[in-house]
Amino acid sequence: MGIVKQDLLNMKTVAVNKRAKNWIRVGYSTCGVAAGAKEVLEVLTEEAKTRGLDVEVKKCGCLGLCSAEPLVEVNVEGAPRVFYGKVNKDVAHKIMDEHVCQKKLVDGHIYEI
Amino acid sequence: MVVENLADDVKKVVERWKDKEGNLIMVLHDIQDHYGYVPREAALEISRQLDQPLARIYEVLTFYNYFKLQPPGKFNISVCLGTACYLKGAAALIEEVTRVLHIKEGETTKDGLFHLQIVRCLGCCGLAPVITVDGKVYSAVKRADVMEIIAEHSKNHGQK
Amino acid sequence: MKRILIQDTDGNKKKDLRDFAVALTSQLRERNLDGQCQVVTVADLGVYNKGLAARVLPEGFIYKNLEIKNITEIIDKTIIAGQKIDALAFDKKSKQMRVVLRNCGVVDPESFDEYVGNDGYQGLVRALEMGPEQAIAEMKKSGLRGRGGAGFPTWLKWDITRKVSGDVKYIICNGDEGDPGAYMDRSVLEGDPHSVIEGMMIGGFAVGATYGFFYIRAEYPLAVERIQKAINKCYEKGLLGKNILGSNFNFDMEIRLGAGAFVCGEETALIASVEGLRGYPRPRPPFPSVKGLWDKPTVINNVETLANIPYIFAKGGEEFGKIGTEGSKGTKVFAVTGKVRNSGLVEVPMGITLREIVFDIGGGVFENKAIKAIQTGGPSGGVIPEQYFDTPVEYESLQKLGSIMGSGGMIVMDEDDCMVDISKFYLGFCVDESCGKCAPCRIGGTQMLGILTRISEGKGKADDLNKLNQIALAMQKASLCGLGQTAPNPVLSTLKYFAEEYRAHVEDGKCPSGKCASLVSFLIHKDKCTGCGLCARNCPVNVIAGSRQEKYVIDQEKCISCGMCYQVCKFDAVERQ
Repeated sequence: MGIVKQDLLNMKTVAVNKRAKNWIRVGYSTCGVAAGAKEVLEVLTEEAKTRGLDVEVKKCGCLGLCSAEPLVEVNVEGAPRVFYGKVNKDVAHKIMDEHVCQKKLVDGHIYEI
Repeated sequence: MVVENLADDVKKVVERWKDKEGNLIMVLHDIQDHYGYVPREAALEISRQLDQPLARIYEVLTFYNYFKLQPPGKFNISVCLGTACYLKGAAALIEEVTRVLHIKEGETTKDGLFHLQIVRCLGCCGLAPVITVDGKVYSAVKRADVMEIIAEHSKNHGQK
Repeated sequence: MKRILIQDTDGNKKKDLRDFAVALTSQLRERNLDGQCQVVTVADLGVYNKGLAARVLPEGFIYKNLEIKNITEIIDKTIIAGQKIDALAFDKKSKQMRVVLRNCGVVDPESFDEYVGNDGYQGLVRALEMGPEQAIAEMKKSGLRGRGGAGFPTWLKWDITRKVSGDVKYIICNGDEGDPGAYMDRSVLEGDPHSVIEGMMIGGFAVGATYGFFYIRAEYPLAVERIQKAINKCYEKGLLGKNILGSNFNFDMEIRLGAGAFVCGEETALIASVEGLRGYPRPRPPFPSVKGLWDKPTVINNVETLANIPYIFAKGGEEFGKIGTEGSKGTKVFAVTGKVRNSGLVEVPMGITLREIVFDIGGGVFENKAIKAIQTGGPSGGVIPEQYFDTPVEYESLQKLGSIMGSGGMIVMDEDDCMVDISKFYLGFCVDESCGKCAPCRIGGTQMLGILTRISEGKGKADDLNKLNQIALAMQKASLCGLGQTAPNPVLSTLKYFAEEYRAHVEDGKCPSGKCASLVSFLIHKDKCTGCGLCARNCPVNVIAGSRQEKYVIDQEKCISCGMCYQVCKFDAVERQ
């Protein structure tokens, strides 16, 4: 038996409650992957794990700013929510180091969209 | 070309699709995913198993750009010729590949190492002009980079 | 903690930016504020040609045309007191609006739960409660028109198909995005697959279809993978199959792959392809709504159209109808590419001007060159010259200019792009992709391409321009399907707006943009040449010779006019003629 309307509403409530307070989204569509999103995602996931940080790292679709791919959106408490563009491994490490841990924005890679 | 288990391979694919109407293109996709192209022997086998004339199969194979009738090279170079890439100089990249490897579009080098194909838009126009080699994407490529990209692959091959 | 984000929005005052940053940082330090305010240089503030600009967070004030003398005031008023300085302020309103892309970049495309968490499948719930007639009425209220290019009202398409009697009906999602240089549909399929599925289910319910096909380009493997995962998930949850959401609506869905044929974007050719045949179009009528896939009534909607539908049902048709203009409702996604600073996808309400899209959102032309034209609609569209950039983006207004809305390709061309070359490029594409079934397209296209090639080689004849016009009009009138009817658009529009460029090729044997290789030659000026030899090392055909003392010379006989020397010379010693 398939789900009914009420099930959908319950699922919605669960999904909304499950949302992480601190999160990082990596644009993971063809253009992002072509520009190197895979290794960026790996670095971020790995760092979050090894440092034991309370931040959820996840994939998302294309944000639209293709010339700035790979694009990463960061939302952690204590710092403004921003997009970083042209992120590579080094910048990914910096994002974890400076933005997530020290609540300092990383120089040179912010894109306002 | 001799392919082992060809009849079995085709059978597996045909089994999956045989109850669906209009299945030919999907069958050909699966075969190409498996072999990298559609060998003539496979086309014959499909014709037998789907009970369709060979001409019907080649009619479809030759109409669509995506289907390949020749085996691909060890490395497949795709140069994107979508509008954005064209405006940013993709035509010069094709010239350069042709000059360096002596192959035109759709051809493979004599040693079977490189195959050149031109594709219409890979969908990453923000990175134009784009070349891919076996799925690895090179973005904002300049004419002078082409040699390096090719060298990178022939060198890797040499080490293997 | 405050943050000041600074950027040089002109792109050529790097030193000023550095000086400003140093001055700002040291003043903050002197006043012991450096612990409370971080100075960050950023890549892009979304503000263009406004000198040195800054954005202060958390307030979000944007200041433009800054100089070092403004620093004290910014610290006093904004950093310390949190006030806005009106004299410096720049009010940037976001011109984008996200309806189709509402979930792209927000949800994890592989997560069913996240889609549901963002009101996913609520539109379907409402549609099922309304019933098919009401659902179509809701679509009529929304005013949504097809996003594939032609702009046919979606509700009407649905209504016609619904009213045709038949036990089996189909709905097809056209994801055969063939326009080279556009990727709106890929982005939606990859970034928000469930919204397209939901749109298709609502459409299927409204027209009485029980089976849906996704027709997706095989060149989009990631899109195919994500749609397949999403379909599987829906089956697992019982959202596809029998008695969906407890109603008596039954619906099944599967993917069929395209195989690289532009003509398959045309409805009847697409149907042939889903049937497993070669993608030959057939005459209309009968329209697919009456006699489509396997001769059953079939409705075909494009990806972007379908992605709008859950939004319409969740928010209401009337609400959706408030976006856009009278005749063109809602938003449109464009892939803005070519010689534009920020190439990418933008979603804007209909009625915005081309200028706003390219300059305010796209940041203007790459490397600050002069803009020549904007091309919309891909190989079926036309070029629009600068004097029309203030035209609002609507289906009819773009048609009047000789272009079309198309599926959303928007390509910026600058002074280096030759219009003869561009029309040759687009026409060459259509000639390649012509299926060959009807003569006007098969022969007309080839003949026109021959003439254009001749012109680009400087061998044009006096009446070539007339001939191009004649063949183009014949093709438009007599071709069987949309491909042939629209293929001459790039030629006709460039002829209309850039006739002098064509004449320069034909009459003077010159290519004003320096793009047509046969009409261009390169020369090294002895007085400017430093003898570095960079050109000789880069020449792909090794026809540049010389030495540090004697300077370098190009062997004109053997030169292939590739322009490599022109590009690499650091001393402007190579001249293009």
